[in-house]
This record gives sequence, structure tokens and C-alpha cells, in this order.
Amino acid sequence: MTPRTSKHVAFAMSAFGLLLAAVEIAAQDAGPCGDATPEERAEAQTLIEGALDLTRGATSYTEMVMIIHRPEWQRRLELVAWTRGREDALIRFTAPAKDAGTATLKKGERMWTFTPKINRVIWLPSSMMSQSWAGSDFSYNDLSRTDQYLRHYEFCIADTADENGRTVYTLELVPHDDAPVVWGKETMVMRDDHVMLSQTFFDQSMKPLKEMRTVEIGELGGRTIAVAMRMAETEVADSWTEVRYLNADFNAEVDDRMFTTFALRGEQ
Amino acid sequence: MPLGLLIQLSWRNIWRHGRRNAILLSAIAVAVAGVVLLNTLLRGMQAEMQNTVIDSLNGHVKVLKPGYRADPGIQRGFEIAQGWDAALPAEAIAGWAARVRVPAVIMSERETRGIQLVGIDPAHEDISFLGRVSFTGEALSGPEDRRVIIGGELAEQLETAVGRRLVLVTQGADGRNREAGYRIAGIFEAEAGGLEKAFVFTGADTLQDMLDTLVVTEVSIRLADDVFETSIIDRLLGVFSGLDVLSWKELEPQAASMVAFADNAIFIYFLVIMGALVFGLVNTLVTAVMERVRELGMLRALGMRPRSVVAQVVMESSLIMFVGVAVGVVIAAGAFSLMADGIDLSAFNESLATFGMRPTFVPVLRVDDVILVVAMSLLLGIVASFYPARRAVQQKPLDALRR
Repeated sequence: MTPRTSKHVAFAMSAFGLLLAAVEIAAQDAGPCGDATPEERAEAQTLIEGALDLTRGATSYTEMVMIIHRPEWQRRLELVAWTRGREDALIRFTAPAKDAGTATLKKGERMWTFTPKINRVIWLPSSMMSQSWAGSDFSYNDLSRTDQYLRHYEFCIADTADENGRTVYTLELVPHDDAPVVWGKETMVMRDDHVMLSQTFFDQSMKPLKEMRTVEIGELGGRTIAVAMRMAETEVADSWTEVRYLNADFNAEVDDRMFTTFALRGEQ
Repeated sequence: MPLGLLIQLSWRNIWRHGRRNAILLSAIAVAVAGVVLLNTLLRGMQAEMQNTVIDSLNGHVKVLKPGYRADPGIQRGFEIAQGWDAALPAEAIAGWAARVRVPAVIMSERETRGIQLVGIDPAHEDISFLGRVSFTGEALSGPEDRRVIIGGELAEQLETAVGRRLVLVTQGADGRNREAGYRIAGIFEAEAGGLEKAFVFTGADTLQDMLDTLVVTEVSIRLADDVFETSIIDRLLGVFSGLDVLSWKELEPQAASMVAFADNAIFIYFLVIMGALVFGLVNTLVTAVMERVRELGMLRALGMRPRSVVAQVVMESSLIMFVGVAVGVVIAAGAFSLMADGIDLSAFNESLATFGMRPTFVPVLRVDDVILVVAMSLLLGIVASFYPARRAVQQKPLDALRR
């Protein structure tokens, strides 16, 4: 569009401008992540990956209930989920009858949904990923996250504390400037056994917007995990979604065919 | 009968009923002034509509890949050669801008919206509304600026602010999705609100990088004057072979038909207002003729030709019409000079924005419109006087004298 040389000059100038901007930003919020060493970063990454693996394992089969609470009403849904590694998952509603059969397939960061009523498999474009999943307070983005998304963040351990003989870490995740992440930052509070205690999403004025809080910790499938979690938007009163594990089998036998759009449709 | 004498007779007859004719004359003057002023408003509106369409990233003429309008996307882009504009006569061109425009989704922490993402070279955008908008924050610094500017209304919907980050999702040249975060350089206030919600701008080079492409999707050309349109389209068809070269009328047919309608509306207003007035004119003349039955009979008995009687009545009507039109045009010119700087319509801002109009309205006075109104009025005056004139000569002189 512009002559080649002037473009280069302009580019060099804008690069310098970016550099200045970066220095400014770093100076602005000299948060705990600004001066994290690579070792600290690696430690934080290990913790996050450990938390992701805790409820997944190589393969897993879980049964859950989801309660969607609103000021005027409340719904209870039952669902089953299969996972394989950190990337693949299939979630299917089993009750109530109205929703039974509705399923969501995740492969990497791509997702599909199946609705029996219209008998269609729909691939979710990323423009839809920030929308609500099954009318809950979870977005498709919340479901589709893998350790891959860590590449979009600068993260570190902001704080450590001792609680009942366990170390509790507070991790801070700040998205890169060009990251496809709308949040200003995220924080995770996690025990040293990778049990997530809470996860908070902040807007860009660093006000908390969404929070997932663990309401019950227990033994399931031979592991200590967060058995019940509650997701709520901080600006909306008396509305939350709770997910509770009923049964879990980590390292269950899961057929590879489970993670196909064919399996998404359900019974054969 | 000598013409001078006829005029003298008509003139005296007019003054015989000074007050009655003064009222008729002022009615004509007000009507003519009204029609002329209405025309300036219509012309102003017409110019405004055309300007808005041209400003809304259309230009007078736009080059597009065939099929882009039905299915916009980066797949329907084209490369432009360095110095392509040398083929265009400089005096005909006000400016041009090559842009990359793709449908996209924009997300903030709270909201998601569908928009048109437009990659621009800000230096070239003086030809569109972007050249005149006011910014909170900054404008884009150049085609390589890796930030976005968004409209005030969109910023409100997204609940975001200058310096915040937004996530944009769109389709790359390979058909795969691209998503990335962009900081807001500035928020613009456009005069027509629709633009604020429709477009998000970033640097053209930035968007090309994001989409992995070197193409643009459109070249907009703003002309120095409407008259160059056809010749420039012909030239452009030569430069961009295989591409569509479309005038703003083809790009926005709805607006174009409204602009074309204004041409006809001028005639409609004229006919409605002046048509009503003609009855007043005819009525007055008939009365004047009926009052003078004996007098006209006498004149005829003395040897005045029927033709001359007709001529006298027509002359009377034309004199009233002529003076009335002259006064009307003077009134209109006076009123126009008061409005020429523009009429402030900001009280109706919102409803105007629906039509893509700006809050200040500038009427346009066109000499050919005034000439048309004057000529048509005089013609109407003559045509309308024939009926009373006929009444005047219908009676036989003997009958008239006996009354």
C-alpha cells in the first residue's frame, strides 16, 4: 500500500513506539508477574497443568449434576463426560428428558454441539465461544480451555500461604497484549495437591467479573478433587451454576471413537 | 391596437382595485417564495443524502471484486499495483483509499458484536467520514498501526474505553479463523450514528498481516465533481480489468432512488402550491371581468377587436403574476441568505440519524431551480387568464351595453 522503504521506516518507528508502550505498561502495573523469572513461570505452569490433569487423567469417565440457579427459577441437569488427555472431551446430558441427548464435543480448542431436536451437529465458530453453554454461567470458552491457552498469558505465583498444613498458591495470569482474551487478568487459588479453590476473571479495569469457587472437596475415583464448584457472575445477584461430581473413574476404558462427531450424535 | 395602449389599460385596471390585487399579489409572492425555499431545502437534503452515502466509505466510485457484495470476505480481494492512480486525471479526483474490509466479530469482557473490520491507511481517509470525525483518544497513526478505533455507540455497547483491549475474530485468506487482541487507540464520534456501530478500523497492513494476505477488498475514489463520474468509471475499468467498478448509485440504490425522487418532488411541490393559487388568480380575474361587462361592451362597440380584449386581460394577469413572482423571489433570496449557513436540527438528532443525516442542515440554492419556478409561474399566469379573457369576449357588445 505504501512504498516499501517508507513502510520499513514506519515499521521501525512503530516498533520503537511499541517498545516505549511496553515499558510504560510494565511501569504502570508492576504487578507480581512483571518481574517473574523463567523458573517462577515454569513452576506456575506446572501447577496449572497439574490442576488440569487432576480431573482428567489419561482418560476419564465422570457423572455430574449441574444446577443452574436464577432468582426466579432453578434447573437441575444430569450429564456424563468422557475425556482423553488434555485435549478431547465429550459431554452428554442424560436428564431431564427435555435435554437428554444434547451433547458437546471438544477436540483441542474446537467444539461441536449436537441437539437431538433438530438432529444437527453444529461446529461452534469462535464468535460463539464466549456464549453461555446450555444456559449455564459457563461459556463454551470455559469448557474448551486446554493448557494450550497458557501461551496467551504471562503467569506467575503471586502469593503463597499456609492453610491447614497445605501450601495454597495464588496464581496470576495476565493475557498478552495481542492475545484473544477479553479479560484484564485471571487469578487461580490452588492447593499444593492441585485442588483448585477458586478461579476469578477480571475485567480490564481489574474488577472481578466472574468467579468459580470450589464449594466442596472430597474423595472421588481414588483422588482428592474439588467435588462441587460454583460459577457466578459477580455483577449479577443470586445467579450461579453449580457442577457436582457424582461418580468419577479416572483412567477408564474410553473408546477412541468416542471423540468423533459421529459419537456426538449418540446411540450408534 | 397599439401594445402601449393595452398595457396602459391593464395597468389602470389593476389600480382600480388596488387592495384586491395587492392581496392576490402577496399570495403569489408568498407562494413563489415558499416554493423556492422548499426547493433549496429539497436540494440541500438531496446533497446531504448523496454526501452521506459517499462519505460512508463508498466514495463516488468503488472498485470491488465481482461477488464481493453478495459474499464479502478476504477471499474476494485483489492486488493493486503501485502507482495505479497515475492513469487518472488529477483534476477529476479528490482522493482515493484502498481498504481491506471483512466481516468480523468483536468481543469485550461483557459483550459480543458483529461488525465490519476495515483496514485503512489513515492518510488516505480524508475522503470519507473518518477524515472529519472527532476522537476521544487518538486516531490511527498509519497503515501499520496495530490498534483499533471504534465508534462511540459500539464502545458503549461493549462497555469498553480507550486503551482497553478487544478481541477480534474473523476469517483469514485460507478460510481458517483468526483471533487476536487489539488495543483501542481512540473512540470516534460520527455525525451519523449508524456508522459508529457498523465499523471498526485498524491499520491496513495490520489487517493484511492478520489475514495472511497482500490484497485489498476495495478501492474508493472520491471525485472533484459529479460530472467526472462516467469518464472516471471508463478509465477505472481499463486499470482494473476483471473487477466491478460501481458508482455510489449502484452501491446504494435505495439512497440513489431517494436522491432521484427529490428531482421530481420539486415539480410536485410546485404543482400543488401554484395549482391552488391559480384558482385564486382565475377567480379574481373573472370578478374583474364581470364587473366591467358594460365597459368592455362599450369598448367593443367603439371598435375594439376581441383579440385586443383578450390581450388586455392576459396582460393584466401577467402583470400581477410578474410582480408577484419578482417580490416572491426577493423574499426567498432574503430568507435563504438567513439560512445559508445551515439550519440547526440537533433537537431531532436521533430521528435524523435514522436517515443517515447530519444535525446541521445546509439548504442549497440552485439558479436553474429558480429560473424554472419563475418561468413556470409566468406560464401558469398566462394560461390561467385565458378563461376569464374568453368570458370577456363571449358576450355580444349589444347585450353587454343593455345590462
